[in-house]
Order: sequence, then C-alpha cells, then structure tokens
Amino acid sequence: MAASPAAPRHRNTLRGQAAIIGIGLSPVGKVPGQSPLALTATAAQYALADAGLTKADIDGVLSSHAMASPFHRFSVAFSEYFGLQPTFSNTLQVSGATAATMFNIAAAAIHGGLAETILIAAGDSLLTGMTPELALRSLTESRDQQYEMPFGIPVANTFAMTAHRHMREFGTTPEQLAQVAVSQRHHASRMPGAQQTSPITVDDVLASKMVTTPYHKLDCSLISDGGAAFVLTSAERAKALGVRKPIYILGGGECYTHEHIFLMPSLTVTGAVESSRRAYAMAGYWAKDMQVAGVYDCFTGTVIMMLEDLGFCPKGEGGRFVADGQMTYGGQIPSNTHGGLLSFAHSGIPGSLFHFHEVVAQLRGDCGERQVAGAELGLVHSLGAGFATNATTILGTENTL
Amino acid sequence: MITVEEARRKPEPSPDADSAALWKGLREGRLLLQHCGRCGHVQYYQQAFCRNCGSAELTHRAASGQGTVHSFSVVHRAPGPAFKDDVPYAVLLVELDEGPRMISTYTGGPADEVTFDMRVALICEPISDTISLPRFRKA
Repeated sequence: MAASPAAPRHRNTLRGQAAIIGIGLSPVGKVPGQSPLALTATAAQYALADAGLTKADIDGVLSSHAMASPFHRFSVAFSEYFGLQPTFSNTLQVSGATAATMFNIAAAAIHGGLAETILIAAGDSLLTGMTPELALRSLTESRDQQYEMPFGIPVANTFAMTAHRHMREFGTTPEQLAQVAVSQRHHASRMPGAQQTSPITVDDVLASKMVTTPYHKLDCSLISDGGAAFVLTSAERAKALGVRKPIYILGGGECYTHEHIFLMPSLTVTGAVESSRRAYAMAGYWAKDMQVAGVYDCFTGTVIMMLEDLGFCPKGEGGRFVADGQMTYGGQIPSNTHGGLLSFAHSGIPGSLFHFHEVVAQLRGDCGERQVAGAELGLVHSLGAGFATNATTILGTENTL
Repeated sequence: MITVEEARRKPEPSPDADSAALWKGLREGRLLLQHCGRCGHVQYYQQAFCRNCGSAELTHRAASGQGTVHSFSVVHRAPGPAFKDDVPYAVLLVELDEGPRMISTYTGGPADEVTFDMRVALICEPISDTISLPRFRKA
C-alpha cells in the first residue's frame, strides 16, 4: 500500500502529467551482428506493441548518443531508420545521467505541449560493435584532454577516487563494496536474458583482478550490447486509450556540480542530494516512501554513496546498510532487482534505461519471482562522468497520484 | 570514434586560448595558478574569468608546488593500449597548499607507497618539445 502524498502539489509542475504506457528491451549482453540502430529499433518495436500503438501514434523521439554508431544526431538517424518524422526530437548527452533526463524532459515536453506521445529509445553495441580496448578508450576520451586524459585516467578512476575517499572518511570496507555486486548478481539470476547470472561471493569479488584501487573486476559494471525503449503519453491520452497499468512520472530533478573531477565540491557528497531532493519535493513523496529503486551502479561503491545521497540511509552508513541486506528483498529498499549495470547489462549511455524498464515492470506488478510485493512507488537515479551529472525520476502507479 | 592507431598514442594536451599561459609556465618549470584581483579566489585550471565572481581581473602566480594527496587510485588495468606499459601507476587527486585541487600521477617511487594525506611536491616532466606534465613525487 503506497503512502499518501505529503506535500501540496505544485500546479505547474509535470507531476502526474505524463505516463509510461509501453516498455521494451532488445536482447542484451553479447548480441553480435546488431547495430546500435537495430538494437534500438528492436526495443522500440516491443515498446510500441506493449503500448498497443503503432509508429503513426508517435510525434516525439528522444534518444542518446551511441559510441558504436557514426551518427552525430542519433535520434534523427533513428527516426529515419524506424520510418518516423517526429515534430519533437533530441539526442541528449549528460553521460550516465541521460536516461533520467530523458524521462524528465519527455514529461515536461508532453506537459508543455511540444509533443503528445514520445518514444524514448536508445541502444549501443559496446561489446561486439567495438573492440574492448576501443570501448574503454572511448570512455577515457570523455575526460578532459588537457587536465585529465594525459595522466591515463580511465573513467573508472574518477569513481574509484570517490569510493576510496569514502572508505577513508567513513570506514567503508572492500567487503561492503563487494556485497553490492553479490546482491545484484543474485537479482540477475532471476532476470531472463541477464548477461551474468552465475552466483558470486564476497570472496570471489575480492579475488577478482584489481582494475583501479579499490575496484576489482567484479566491482565494475559490464560492457554490453543492448537497447531499451519506452512510450510516454499524456495522462489524459493514457486514460482514453484504456492502458492497463500506466506508470506516472511524479517528479524529476537534476544537478550538475562540476565537469572536472578535481572541481567536484566534495568527493563523498554528490549532486544526487539535490537532484533527489527536487524530485521528491515535486512528487510529494520522500525516500522513506519508495518501495523499489533503480540506482546507477557503474561501480559497487557508487551504489553505496547513492543510497546515502538519495536519503535511504545516513551519510557514511551506506556500507553497513548494504552489508545488512537493506538493498535487497526484505530490506528497506530493494534496488536494481534486474541485476543492474553490474550483472544485467551496461551498453553505455542507454544502460540506465534498463533500470527504468525494471522499475516500471515492478510498479506494474509484472516481475514474477523478482516482484517486490505491492510496489507502487519507485525511484530511478542516473548519474555519470565521475558524479558530474545526476538526475532522479520518481515513478508511481495511479494510486499514488 | 577513434582509430586503433590513435588509441596506441598517449593523449597530449593541446593548449587553447584559455590555457596557453599554464602550459607555457609548466614548460618553464612553474605551475601557474590564477589569482582573482576582485575576490581573491585562486583557481586551477586557467580561463578568461574568475569562476567565483566572474571578474576578468586575473593574475598568474607560480604555485609553491607543495600539496597533499586528497585521494588516489592505483591503475592496474590501463585505459587503452597507450598506458599498458605504465601499470601499476597511481593517479592522484592533489590538494595544493594554495587550495585548488588537480589530477596528476605519482612519480619517483612505487605506486603502492602512496597514502591519503601524504605530502607531495611538483615535478614538471617534459613529454614533448612544447609540453611538460605536472607530476608529483613524495615531498
């Protein structure tokens, strides 16, 4: 049973104005012979079928850049590929945070009249579309060419330095970091199509090869192929269409605190505090009301820091919170129940769309043995570029409006 | 998308209009910081305006070159072929005594001797005819 909204609604926000009425996934993991556009189109076909609509119903397209695709305007290239001529479109780029911004912007565009029915669709093929070294190097390219890249700083390193400092300040342990990977692997074992499903232990994580301290290989997210797509429309149209279980966007918030890791205001407190505060305020719900979450998990320590900054536990307590089983079934906030970027799939910028797919499926009650019983309110937090970019979206069923 | 050939080369900074003085200073063995004449803010890297107050009244002064390790991470798996021969190497987030932080790498000793809050000192290491990288050794 969901809580009641706690704060007065702001009449002019996007709260409850737009609903997710269709979701779709391409095959993920190792998917050879499928271009990023093909993966995206596959997911989009599923999402349209799920919504019971055809492409003629779509007037807006939002997407993100694909590294293994030559197109600079992926949303425009995708529209052509899919046979669409939308009157609202953009290719968004705030690294890993892009996914949540797509939902926030789509809801705002629907609320503001720029489009009525928007297809959010993205995919990339980082595993088979590029060599692993080029994929990694491309991620490095996202760091500054004068002040960061010359020092051989992988994107992993920026996140590693934040987790390392967190360990220094709060006594977070390698075992606690590893527990995130263990819990999520367990989740993935019940997720059809997940890339990694074999059970792992804390010792397995600690025994896996060191990548960049404090992160071992199993503390790091996967490199994958895959795409996801969603159909969003106005609350009115969702009602008129008689959609079985529309999932509403209740709140959105973003925060951008720096570009260079050396200008991050604090290595252990991130922009997720502000992005989630804004999203909660718009929704009128708070961390304690959330029943399921998708928490960006490029690395294990990232999840621990986010569970704190999203308000699920006090600052510095994230390691103990995770070790205590609070991020899995029976705990305070079951998170990344599909396995996340660590075990389900991580196809670059589209990776966080998989968290949306899972949280929407949970709120619809469609998750079978993964189902979090009675979940009606959920959150997805996307972030990227060494915590430079943070975006939060709060989702809920009709009962939570 | 970059080519395989490009991935084998270490990225070399290309100074721009904002950063020309910084890289010229490093070539001469000095790490220049910008000091704001209006609000006193000290900043790294260099740009046309003070990030705190927006003033263009900025002067360059050489840093002491002394700092502490605020955080670090020892890279065991290189980010691409160009850095493969260097592992393990310690990437440092150095807090300079003047306040600003910067990214660098540890030199002059094994990566595993780096610790939190360790005192470090600047070394300007030439990597080409025009570019020297600011690196740090144990103070």
